[in-house]
Amino acid sequence: MSIREQMRKGTTNVILLNLLAEAGRPMYGYEIIQELEARSDGFFEFKQGLVYPRLHELEREGFLRAEWQGEEGSRRRKFYTITDEGRRRLEKELQGWQALTRDVNRLLGVETS
Amino acid sequence: MTEIDAMLARIAAGLDLDAETEHEVLCEIRDHLEAAADGARAAGLDEDAALARAAACFGLEEEVARELRAVHAGWGTADAVIAAGLPVACALVLRWLAFAPDGTALGWPQLLSRPAFWIVACAALLLPVLKFERRRYALAAWVVFWGLTVLFVALPAARW
Repeated sequence: MSIREQMRKGTTNVILLNLLAEAGRPMYGYEIIQELEARSDGFFEFKQGLVYPRLHELEREGFLRAEWQGEEGSRRRKFYTITDEGRRRLEKELQGWQALTRDVNRLLGVETS
Repeated sequence: MTEIDAMLARIAAGLDLDAETEHEVLCEIRDHLEAAADGARAAGLDEDAALARAAACFGLEEEVARELRAVHAGWGTADAVIAAGLPVACALVLRWLAFAPDGTALGWPQLLSRPAFWIVACAALLLPVLKFERRRYALAAWVVFWGLTVLFVALPAARW
């Protein structure tokens, strides 16, 4: 598995939390994926279907709240919103990410501005 | 059967979830595939090509099903076991509280004056609603609990 692939797998949850925190409004799965693809500009190549297990995982852990809209029998859509717990988790993960990149860059001798 | 229906059927075959969760998962994926196909059609692709692109971008059904199963695994079964076991256990404890060792039953006034009764009753009422994501499980647990409690305490013929 490439470093990029490993990074994608390891960072998908925090990227999803960050996207929903920045959006500040409920978003549905396809909309989230479209936004992810637009933001990554091809950097992260991922299979769209694999985003749903991550969304469900975050929902189960209480970091996202999901709500169905639309009537049974018509087109129904599941919207996700970040919870307060999700925001706290995002803050913690971002701090961890910054510390990790700083330490790895130091180990690799990479200078950052 | 459309291509989307066929994809959903292949995903469903690999899910092995409780019926309600599976229905919700498939409903969400259907919405995704339909939206993706709509987008591809809007970009100028014909019907078959739009569905093919939506399917290709979605990924392998087996892989998605395996990941979804891993996320949801065990919850439905664990809930069902607790939903079945908890009200029975609580009702049995209440039954034990309600009957003296000589087999004579306490009346409701005496039973209601016992703190242990309220502890068990509150546990039987609160635990299901705190534990279960599915409110119907909590409701079923309450129905079973009260049904057994009335049976054990109120009906003299039910004495063991």
